[in-house]
Amino acid sequence: MTSAAPAGQLRAEDVSFAYVGAARAALRHVNLAVAPGEVVLITGASGCGKSTLALALCGLIPARVHGELRGRVMFGSAPLSGMKPHEASQLVGMVFQNPNLQLINQTVQSEVAFGPENLALPQPEIAARVDWCLDVTGMSGMRTAAVVTLSGGQKQRTAIAATLAMQPRILVLDEPLSDLDPVGAQEVLSTLQRLARHGGTGVVVIEHRVDEVAPWADRVVLMDDGRVVLDQPPRAAWAEPGPWRATGVGIPDMVRLAHAVPEAFGSRLPLSLQEATDAVKDTWFEAALAAAAAERRSGAGQPAGRRNGRAADAAPAVGGGPPVLSWDGVSVEFDGKRAVDDVTLAVNEGEWVALIGANGSGKSTLTGLTVGLGKPSAGVVRFRGQPVRPGKVFDHAAQVALLLQAADDMLFETTVRKELEFGFRFRARPKEPVLDVPEAVEFFGFTGREEDSPWELSQGGRQRLALAALLVGAPGVLVLDEPTTGQDANHMRSFLQLLDRVRARTGITIVTVTHDIRGLASRAARVVLLGEGQVRADGPTSQVFAMSGDLIRWGVLAPPLARLQSELLGPAAGDVLLEVDELASTVLAHRPAGARAISPGTGALRS
Amino acid sequence: MMNSLPVQTIISYLLIFAVPMVLPVVFLKVVGLSGLRTLVTYEARDTPLHRLDPRLKVLYPIGMGILSILFTWKAMLVVFGLTILPWFWLRPSRAKIKVLMVMIIGPAIAGFWGQGLYYLPPPPIHFLYKFPWTMAWLGSPGITSYGMTFGLQQTSRVLVTVSTSMLILISTDVGDFTWAFERFRAPPHVGFALTAALRFLPEMITRVNLVFRAVELRGYDMSRPRWHQFNRWPDYARRLGRCVVLVTVPLLIGTLRGTTTMAMVADARGFGATKRRGSLRVHKTTAVDIWGYAILGVLVVGALVLNHLGIGARYYG
Repeated sequence: MTSAAPAGQLRAEDVSFAYVGAARAALRHVNLAVAPGEVVLITGASGCGKSTLALALCGLIPARVHGELRGRVMFGSAPLSGMKPHEASQLVGMVFQNPNLQLINQTVQSEVAFGPENLALPQPEIAARVDWCLDVTGMSGMRTAAVVTLSGGQKQRTAIAATLAMQPRILVLDEPLSDLDPVGAQEVLSTLQRLARHGGTGVVVIEHRVDEVAPWADRVVLMDDGRVVLDQPPRAAWAEPGPWRATGVGIPDMVRLAHAVPEAFGSRLPLSLQEATDAVKDTWFEAALAAAAAERRSGAGQPAGRRNGRAADAAPAVGGGPPVLSWDGVSVEFDGKRAVDDVTLAVNEGEWVALIGANGSGKSTLTGLTVGLGKPSAGVVRFRGQPVRPGKVFDHAAQVALLLQAADDMLFETTVRKELEFGFRFRARPKEPVLDVPEAVEFFGFTGREEDSPWELSQGGRQRLALAALLVGAPGVLVLDEPTTGQDANHMRSFLQLLDRVRARTGITIVTVTHDIRGLASRAARVVLLGEGQVRADGPTSQVFAMSGDLIRWGVLAPPLARLQSELLGPAAGDVLLEVDELASTVLAHRPAGARAISPGTGALRS
Repeated sequence: MMNSLPVQTIISYLLIFAVPMVLPVVFLKVVGLSGLRTLVTYEARDTPLHRLDPRLKVLYPIGMGILSILFTWKAMLVVFGLTILPWFWLRPSRAKIKVLMVMIIGPAIAGFWGQGLYYLPPPPIHFLYKFPWTMAWLGSPGITSYGMTFGLQQTSRVLVTVSTSMLILISTDVGDFTWAFERFRAPPHVGFALTAALRFLPEMITRVNLVFRAVELRGYDMSRPRWHQFNRWPDYARRLGRCVVLVTVPLLIGTLRGTTTMAMVADARGFGATKRRGSLRVHKTTAVDIWGYAILGVLVVGALVLNHLGIGARYYG
């Protein structure tokens, strides 16, 4: 065990922790230090112990979460592990994943004042803290707003403000971006950076979305199986992809691209889009990219919509099959406000379509109508030409399978087998099942676990089970509402592979509602952008993601690779490449003959 | 024809069961689970009612409730009027008005109708419609005008408290309630419990709604039969009952997870760290407060005086 940490430094010293009744320890000999003003990104696969470490760092382990704790957490020379939660929270504040569960009060300012009021501080001190916290989080203009009216990003910023009101020296945030659209995520990240750079607050961000956090982080910590396997500055952390591949954790796209085309980026790994653009601007890389784009525009390349990834390869071309789902002039109103505004859209047989847009843009409302959830105030929704009747969910659920974001809410039975059989207790088994129950057990990897309780499965397992249970009903369309939210790269990859296999096996039409622009949306052959309830863009994924300006206008950021191409080529980018390997091989194939290989450490080669 | 026993029996059954059957249907159609969510939601606005002293807001429904019990019917109508007027001042959202109307008028009609059927004055009884023996064996000889008037009075008394409470509920941030309770020396846990309940009740209603949708999406038949499909209603009731059992597990697990997080948040924000809490709110007494206290004072003193003089007070015994 080491000596006391320097003043203001948070330090986990050889910390191990096992939950009550758990066979394995969730944390194993963790050593970690966080200094004031430092931004530390902690990442790792689901279940690797990140959230447990967060609870230990802010003193809620062992004060409120019970188990066997070894080692200690120190703040300066004070042992945090022995403090009461309200004492520890004035040194290390914790922002939990779901802002809805941590906003207890009804208005923004009463939420922020709650902590200081509990400490019985004098009124001027409480008012000063509330003003400062709202100011630093950019929420001053909404201080009297009701919490229920806030967007996801605003709720998360309110939760941060409320935690800051305890004046912690270090802020720990557990997956603060998981429910946010890309623009909301940027709001939160810029708030955190302001706190660290100008307020001197140490910030620990636990997050799977490494692409977005990477440019802001001073250090990156990789965890695996309860241990810290890597703790370095970002460039050093991602210099060697080995540990990341071994743990199945994602690497930022710009870093992957630099690894794939080292001669273009040199020895300095780009962590952000700006760094990558600066590195390859006016180089042979840009020239090669322009040549490839020109070739695609002239038709020499592969057709759009069939190029990006396996799903696109497996899918028919856009508009290839007859319409299976259609929305004809559909509007939906809630309390006099239009959530969906005159949408006309068709999804064809066998397509994979991604609906993207900012929080509240009407995506989930639009897809809910396909199974009779909600009632259009105007227009008609059709499944294979037949109108969908509002409220008749039971009738339409056999045709359109809707997997909710909270898949846990869709499990009702005591065993895996009963869960798969659930639907057949109320309606006849399909005459031509695309996947019967025994096949589903094998296909979705439940062999040997048929009699297990669904709650004994991992989170990913429960999501697979909910999906399998919907598919045995032989629906014509699969609608997935934010299926990859909060998932690590490995889990996301497995889920996308599973969807590919389902499509290959069943040929089913898929509609996904997603904020996951980099993963899930890029996998679809076609993307529909919704903004303020209207369709703002609709086309092949590679073309829609080339419209960076339009996407930002409607609260969406295109994938980093798409933005890089748009930054370098502007409108000439045409339809963009969305896979790192594909982009790397394309630029290498179009590399001008005179371009020289770069010497390590000399920066990008100018041609 | 109208005096024949079968026709009289049919009319009687319709009269007695129409209201109890129509009200739930109206509730489901107009409000539903999602509508309930808006019932207790605070509407942030800048009206004098919003700025009123929270202590007065706590006292107001209590005072009005007591007055509604003490006064005679005619005096009570004045009190009832006083609870209605502030709604025009507050101008709630249309969604809230819709829910409020159903939630207030529904029970009012039920009370009015129920008393009309079952409250029997001393003879001679004036029946608006006398039931034949085929109906009377259920316990009601018919609908009386006296019973309906009595029902209207009783319902209005309840509505005074309900209307005032709802008025206060939607115009007051829960934090202000907590502040008021603390000024009255109530334990902070009372305020916290109220805060958490009012903040999370709409969330819970949303969640229950979501899980009921999820069970339908999994292929569970929750479709309601048409009103005339009598043979299908027992099966619907059975399916509904079974569904409640099914949704319990996900609801329970979700709720337990949520409350664990909320408890940790409350701990981390220092709840319970001190016996007395501080407050962001500094309430400066305004003209509206003075008027409010004056009205409440006049009403209370007036009630005491009128009771003492035997004017306007209810006769008991």
